[in-house]
This record gives sequence, structure tokens and C-alpha cells, in this order.
Amino acid sequence: MDPFKNRQWVVILIIISVGLIFSFRLFYIQVINKDWSERAKQITSKTENIQPPRGFIYDRNNQLLVGAETIYDIYIHPSIIKLKDSSAICKLFNLSNNDFREIIKNASSGYNVPYKPSVFIESMTQQEHAKISPYLGQINSVFAKPKIDRGYPNPIAAHLLGYIRRIDENQFKNTKAQGDFFYTKNDFIGITGLEKEYELLLRGERGNINYLKDYAGNKIETVNKKPPKPGRSLYTTLDIELQKLGEKLMENKIGSIVAIEPSTGEVLAMVSAPSYNPSSLTGRDFSENFKIFKKNDSLKPLINRPVYNDKYRPGSIFKLVQALIALDDGVILPETGFSCNKNIIGCHNHERPDNLTKAIKHSCNPYFFQVYKRLIMKDNSKNVFQTSREGLAIWEQNIKTFGFGDPLGIDLPEEKSGFIPNVDFYDKWYGKKRWAFSTIYSNSIGEGEIGVSPIQMANLASIIANRGYYYTPHVIKKIANENILKKFKIKHRTCVDKKHFEVVVKAMNEVVNKGTGRNARIDSIEVCGKTGTVENKTFNDHSVFISFAPMDNPKIAIAVYVEYGTWGSKWAAPIASLMMESFIKGSLSKKSIEKVNQISQAVILNPNTDFK
Amino acid sequence: MKYRNLSIWRNIDKPLLIMYLLLSVIGYFIMYSSTFKGLNIQTDFWSANYGKQFVWIIITLFIGFFILLLDGSFIKNTAYFTYGFVLLLLILVLLMPPIKGARSWFYFSGFSIQPSEFIKLTLSLSIAKLLSDVGSRFQEFRTKLKAFFMIIIPALLIAVQPDPGTMLVFACFIFVLYREGLSGNFLLIGLFTVLIAVVGIFLKASNSVFHLAGNAISGNIFFGLILILGFIFSFIIIRYFVLPRYRKKKIQRLIIITLLGLSISGGINYVYDSVFSERHRTRFQIMFGIKEDRKGAGYNIYQALSAVGSGEGLGKGYLKGTLSNDKYKHVPEQNTDFIFCVLAEEWGFLGSFIFISLYLSTLIRMILIAERQRSKFTRIYGYCVSGILFFHFMINIAMVIGLAPVIGIPLPFFSKGGSAIFSFGLMVFILLRLDSERKVVLR
Repeated sequence: MDPFKNRQWVVILIIISVGLIFSFRLFYIQVINKDWSERAKQITSKTENIQPPRGFIYDRNNQLLVGAETIYDIYIHPSIIKLKDSSAICKLFNLSNNDFREIIKNASSGYNVPYKPSVFIESMTQQEHAKISPYLGQINSVFAKPKIDRGYPNPIAAHLLGYIRRIDENQFKNTKAQGDFFYTKNDFIGITGLEKEYELLLRGERGNINYLKDYAGNKIETVNKKPPKPGRSLYTTLDIELQKLGEKLMENKIGSIVAIEPSTGEVLAMVSAPSYNPSSLTGRDFSENFKIFKKNDSLKPLINRPVYNDKYRPGSIFKLVQALIALDDGVILPETGFSCNKNIIGCHNHERPDNLTKAIKHSCNPYFFQVYKRLIMKDNSKNVFQTSREGLAIWEQNIKTFGFGDPLGIDLPEEKSGFIPNVDFYDKWYGKKRWAFSTIYSNSIGEGEIGVSPIQMANLASIIANRGYYYTPHVIKKIANENILKKFKIKHRTCVDKKHFEVVVKAMNEVVNKGTGRNARIDSIEVCGKTGTVENKTFNDHSVFISFAPMDNPKIAIAVYVEYGTWGSKWAAPIASLMMESFIKGSLSKKSIEKVNQISQAVILNPNTDFK
Repeated sequence: MKYRNLSIWRNIDKPLLIMYLLLSVIGYFIMYSSTFKGLNIQTDFWSANYGKQFVWIIITLFIGFFILLLDGSFIKNTAYFTYGFVLLLLILVLLMPPIKGARSWFYFSGFSIQPSEFIKLTLSLSIAKLLSDVGSRFQEFRTKLKAFFMIIIPALLIAVQPDPGTMLVFACFIFVLYREGLSGNFLLIGLFTVLIAVVGIFLKASNSVFHLAGNAISGNIFFGLILILGFIFSFIIIRYFVLPRYRKKKIQRLIIITLLGLSISGGINYVYDSVFSERHRTRFQIMFGIKEDRKGAGYNIYQALSAVGSGEGLGKGYLKGTLSNDKYKHVPEQNTDFIFCVLAEEWGFLGSFIFISLYLSTLIRMILIAERQRSKFTRIYGYCVSGILFFHFMINIAMVIGLAPVIGIPLPFFSKGGSAIFSFGLMVFILLRLDSERKVVLR
């Protein structure tokens, strides 16, 4: 017999032991150890965020101010480029051979891999894309992917709307620290204006998609999907036509226009000059333009002057407030007269101010010097320093009821407070009991240390138009969260009784009809206004005008500030007048249109400004 | 004729036939899943991989049917001739242009043939014929030498291609020769060699450093010292506990084994440093889990293990894999060398265990069939077939489940590839035919 017959069992034993070893090993990696299963999940599944579309912004008549614009990223897929493609690509995008090689290199190295498409031209505009799109279909390895950016069908109100940009490291950390985990490092966030103020509503809610991918990362099968919630739209109080007109009038000038509907506090127009086209801060050109605006332009076009610049001295328009407080305090009567004594304070030649109306009509400086003196030095029996202290304290309180010295609370993030000098301020500046009325009298005519922002000036016009109260100026009309609107429905009363306003209103009407503001007259509408000329030592004085119309049942209150505008009636008054005419009548007369063109062509800039 | 035909069906080994058909069918379905691109992707059946595979299986069954009609003596008598013919092809294939870096294929329009798949079959037949010929005795040195050359020549030709995986399979003939009387020491030495090699490579790959009496010495020298220490220890034991008359023989063996161990360990040292390229070294390092290179050299095995592991207990279900089929393609070579991933992923541990059991049962069945032969030729041939399939299975699965470095080798009956399907099918059919004659003749 075969002596080696039993060796079959050795062989069979080996086979069985291999089978056992494999089985144990498989049992370990498949059943006991879950690591490999986890790794498989990491390999196959991917979760991606879906960006919600950002909310749109409309004007008061539901016209689109900020919408969406489709732009295109051009992708290249190196591993499927055919020889004939490369010449076609070079031709289509005007590339030299070296450029092309560079592009391929970039698309295949670093974060990019040749078997996956990557972007090589970012944010192509619709027009640019339209030119190349017919040829793209013929080249497999290059394609365009649309994405949504901010679009501005009416390129106006850049400051008010604000801009968005990619979130930076600090903001990213801050939002995380505040428990807001919305953003990824690629997200955009509102930086200024309404975009910032209403960021939470505009941004919407992120969705996500979980899918199985193949080896190259392509999406193969959707496992789970949560659609994004689009951002809420904002309906603003702005009037596109009025805003456009305002921006046209302020071309080549520095300054602000703020127009408010007195009965509601709604901001109808808010112009900050110089301005810029809001679409220049979108897409590919953002960083380049931003650098220019921020660093290389001495006119600082990014600043929203109507709310941010609170260093403006109000000038003569402040006399209105002085008059009202004085009437209410009873220190003067409408019939009170003073002489125009140019020895105390400078003035121009005009008829004798033997009542308040005349004083306002001619903007008499000495008259208001006396008025302010009576306000501050009420008790002549006391020490002059002490009296001034007490007087100023009361005056400051009263002034503040007109919305000066504190932010009004408009729904724009840039708003600043303005400044009303008070006892503490002068104590610090001059020392306690070392100042008196004689030190601070320039406040009487809105010069001195007073700082007022254009929105506060417009608010003053609104207060007088309303005969004694105002609603906080605001930009938002309709919004998903109604709570936000509540604070704009509160009536703020001034310290001055309603009955004292009529005199001032009449006087303002006189100003326009017969006084310093004749440039603001509008046919068939009774306009009330007050000019202001703010002293400027370096160059021409600034031109200020506040106004409202019609006199009874006012529809619009407006403040115009033209820096270096020489005097109030020269530029600010006609600009305000044209704005009001346009808003109230709905259109401009032929003569007015001519005037608009004249004004918009006038260049009023400080020659000392350093242009780069 | 009528009688003969009847006798075929009566005497054919039905368990093996069924096992083979079962493996082929399962293999086909797994292969189909591995090339599955998703239901909504319409592919022309006949031009798809699974269509071609289907054709090959049909051809194999068809030819197999004819083989069952052949006379066993015809198969035996033509063994040298077919061996010589395929050997010639193996030489000619070296003149072909390389595909994927190896000159393994004759490429015709539409399909390709891999002669190394067929040499396994013809070599099996020739070895069986050589060892079963009247007058040749395995104990004789001449016979051993002949058998050695018969095996080593095609192995070397394949090494030149290069196709290390297939070459490795030729080691399976050691089982055949062992069954025919080769000393068991060879198996032990083989095992010993593998053990020392594994430890040696591990020590090299891990760059182990041991500290001995304040001196840092490299792992392999330390290993050598351990071997010598072991030798001294064993020597002392033999010196004092073994009867004097056996001592000399034992000490001789001890010296041989120790020298062998030292030379293997030294050889590994040399091969690892000088022969291996960085690529090979990384493969070993990955296999031992010393290095993790998920994106580079370790990519294949990392993806494969993830696929296998993700099958968990019961699998994801047929065609529902998310890593290893063509739809996702996370596992490379998923329809050839890594096809086991598809099975393990979609059928889980349960399916894998059944698969292993069925596969190895088939191999054991072949051994049992070989053992019941009166014909030495059929017996040796049976061992050859079982051994070849076993080695393929062992190397392939060990590689996929991370027990061996990545070596390209197909899994018989499963992997895509006409030549392999065909040649493995022929092997089994020839075995079935020869076995069916077990009562008829004594060869």
C-alpha cells in the first residue's frame, strides 16, 4: 500500500486551518472591530451645505433694489483634456501656451487634482459668459457653473444698502463665540448698512445634503437632504426715484441729503456723497475696488455721511431749536425784539428783527445771541458761572428731546450720536467755574462745539413739520419680524408745547418766500425752510438747508448738507427744493429739470483735498 | 459508445460538479455586481465585462462537456506535448508589448490570452505523468530533479514577465511532491523559513532598535543573537538530556537549522536593503501596520479593508455595495484581484464564511477524490488542481484582508478574465473526467 496515504490529512489540515484563520480575521474586521466600517463611511459619504439664497431688498413701491445676479465660475477638468481641446481653450480664453500650462499645473496641484474639475476663472459676469457659452459646449473639459451674487438693478443707495463680503477670521470667531454656527469660512456676511443690520433675516437658513460619493468625489446617490430656507426679503421705506434724483444732484459734491416722511419717520431718501456703484463691491472686483475706496480715495466714499458724520455743526438751522425752547421756557415771546448788534456777533444787513419771525426770516445772529443768553443766564442774581452751569444743564436736557446728542436709533449700524456740549464737557475743557455764557455763546447760532448728523437735522425738520414730535427715522417698512417695527411706532415728544411751533413754522415759510431761502421756493406749494451757513476756516463755508413741505399737512421733511457750498441758500436750498418738488408733485417741471442738470454738473470740492 | 456515455454520467463525481457549478454561478453574480454601474445606466450586455465573462463561462462549460467525452489516456498521453506547447507560448509572450508593465498577454483584437494561466494546467498534467510513469520512482534523485526543472522553468519564465503572484502559486507543487513522498522536512523548513522571514521583515520594516547593555543594536542583529542563544540553549539541553547515541544526529540538525535561520535572517537583511525598492518596503510596512499611507501605497488595501469591514455581519445586500462596485469604485481592481471585497461587502461575514467553507470544501473534495484513485496519474493531478486553487485562494484572500502584502493574483471562478475562467474550468473538468474512469482502468 501507499506509505504516504496519511499525508492527505496533513494537507487537509492545512487547508482547514487557513480557512479558520481567514474566518477569524474576517470575523474580527467585519463583526468585532467597527473601525473599518466607520472608515468606509468616511470614504463614501459626504455632507455638503446648501447655501440659502440671500433675501432681496425692495423700495417703498416694491421696486427691486438688491436682487440676485447669476455669475459664472469656469471650471477645468485636466484629466479629460484632449489635444484638440487645448488649442480651442487657448483661443477661447485668449491664453498663451505658457498661460495654459500654468493653468493646467494649478488645476492639478495643491488642493486640486487632475481627475476633478477646479475653478480657473472666478465670477464671470453674465455678459462675459454669454460671449463664450456657445463654444463651451464643444469642449468637454471646460464648463461653467452658475452661482448667485448680489445684483443691483438700480445701482443706487450704496451706503444705505451696505455690502457683503466673505467672512473674515475675526468675525468667524466672534460669531462662533456668540453661539452662532451658521457660517462657514466661505460664507458672505453683511458688513455695513442694511446688509449688516438685517443680516439674520437676509441670510436665511442653511440646508444640507448628505450623499454617497464615488472615488473621485462625484455625487452618486442622495441619502438625506434638507432644503435651505431662503433669506427674507426686506421692504424699505426708500423711494427709488427720489433717491436717484438726490444722488444726481449730489454728483461732484461732498455731503448728504436725508428726506423723511414726517408722519411716520420713514426715510424716503438718504444720499451720501461721494457715492459709488454698489455692484462694484461684488464678485471678482471686490477687493480691487474696496482697496481703492478705502485707501486711495481721500473723499472716503465708503462713509455713510448722513448717519456716520456727526461732526457737522448745524449752523443757523439750530436757531429754530433755540427759538422753540426759548418760547417754551417763556424767556421770549413771538413779539420779542432785539437789535441786530453786529458788535456782539457778526451778521449781514437786513431789516430790524423786532419780532421772532423776522429774526428767523433773516437768520439774525445777534438776535439769537440774546435768546441763548436768556436761556442760559436765567437768574441774574447769582454768580455768573453758577448761573451758566444751571442754565446749560437745563438747556442740554431740552435740546436732547429734539433727538440731538444721542443716536436716534435708525436701523443702520453706522449711526453716531452727535454731540451737545454739557456742563461736564466745559468743566473738563476750561475747568470748573472757569467758563460762563460768554465762553460758550457760539452755541447760540449752531456753531461752537455742537455736532449734529444730517439724519438728526432731517429729524429736526420732521419735528417742526409735525409741530412737536417725531418717530424714530427708519429705513425698513415691512419685515417678517413685526417686532422690529414696534420701536418705530413710538411717538417721541419734544419738551416744547405744540402751540409754540406755529410761529416758527410761519417764520420758516417766510424764510422761503421772502427771506434767506428764496432759492427753495416751489410753485403752488407752501414750503417751510431754514438756511444755514457753517463757518469753515480752511475753505468755503458749508451750505445747509432744512425744510419741509407743504406747510400744512407736510409730506416730506428734508435736510441737505453740501460741504464747501458757500452759504445755505446757494446749493442746499435749491437741492432740497427740487427733491421736495419731485416727491410731492411726482415729477419735475421743465425748468426744474434744467436746474437739476445745472446743479449736478457743478463741482464743489475742496481744492485742498488730496486727490489720488 | 452508449455504455461509455452512460458510465460518464453514472461515475462522475456529482458533489464536485455541483460545487464547481455553484462557485461558477456565485462567481459570476459577484463579478456582475463588481462591474455594476447602477440600474439606470444602460450598457450593452455583450460588450460589458459581465457579458464577456458570461461568454467565457459558456465556452468553458461547452469545452468542458467535450472534455468529459475524451478518453483519459488521451489526456495523459498528450500531457508533455501541451506542456511543451504552452512553454513555447510563455517564451513567445515575452516578445509582446507590455500591458500594465508586464508581458503576460497575447493581445488579439477584442480579447487577450494569458498563457501563464494555462501552464498551471499543463504543468499539473505533466508532473502527474512524470511521477506516475512506470519505472520512474520519486525516491530517485533523477525523478526529483526532472520534476524540479519541470516546475522551475515556467516559474522563472513567469518571473521574467514579471508576474510574482502567479509565480508564487508554483510553490503549491511542494504539497503534491510531499504527498508523493518528499520529506516532510521540506514543509517544516518552508514553514520555518516563512516564520523567520516574517519576523525578519517585520524587524526591518519597523526599524526596531533594541538596547542591550547600553548599546543600541538593530532588530535583525538582535534576532540573530536570539537564534544563537536558542542554539546554545538547545545544545545544552541535548548535551545533558539526550541519550549519547542520538546526540550526534540531533546536534547536526540543530546546527543546520541554526545556520539556515541565520542565513535566512541575513538574507532578508540584504534583500530588504538592496533588492527591494522603496515601493516594496512601504507595502510591507503597510501590511504590518507600521505605516499608514491611505492616499499612496496603502490606498488599495485601506480601501479594500474598509469595504470588507463595512459588510459587517450580514452585508449590505446584493448590488447595494457603496465602495467596491463600479458605481463607486473606491476599491481599485475590484473586478479582478480585489473581487472578494464585493462579496464581503454585500454579503457580510455570513456570506464570506459560507464562501470560504464552500471553496475549501471543494478543495478538500478534490483531495478526497484524488485519494480514492487507483490511478497514480489521476491522484497526482487531483493534488495539483487542489493545490493550485488553494494557493490562489490563500494568497488572494490573505491580501484582501490584510494578512499579506498586495500581490496581484486572481481568485479562481470569481475574478474577471477569460483565460483564468477557462483554464480553471478545464482543470476541474479534466479532474472530473479522469475521476469518472477510476473504476475502469488502472493507470
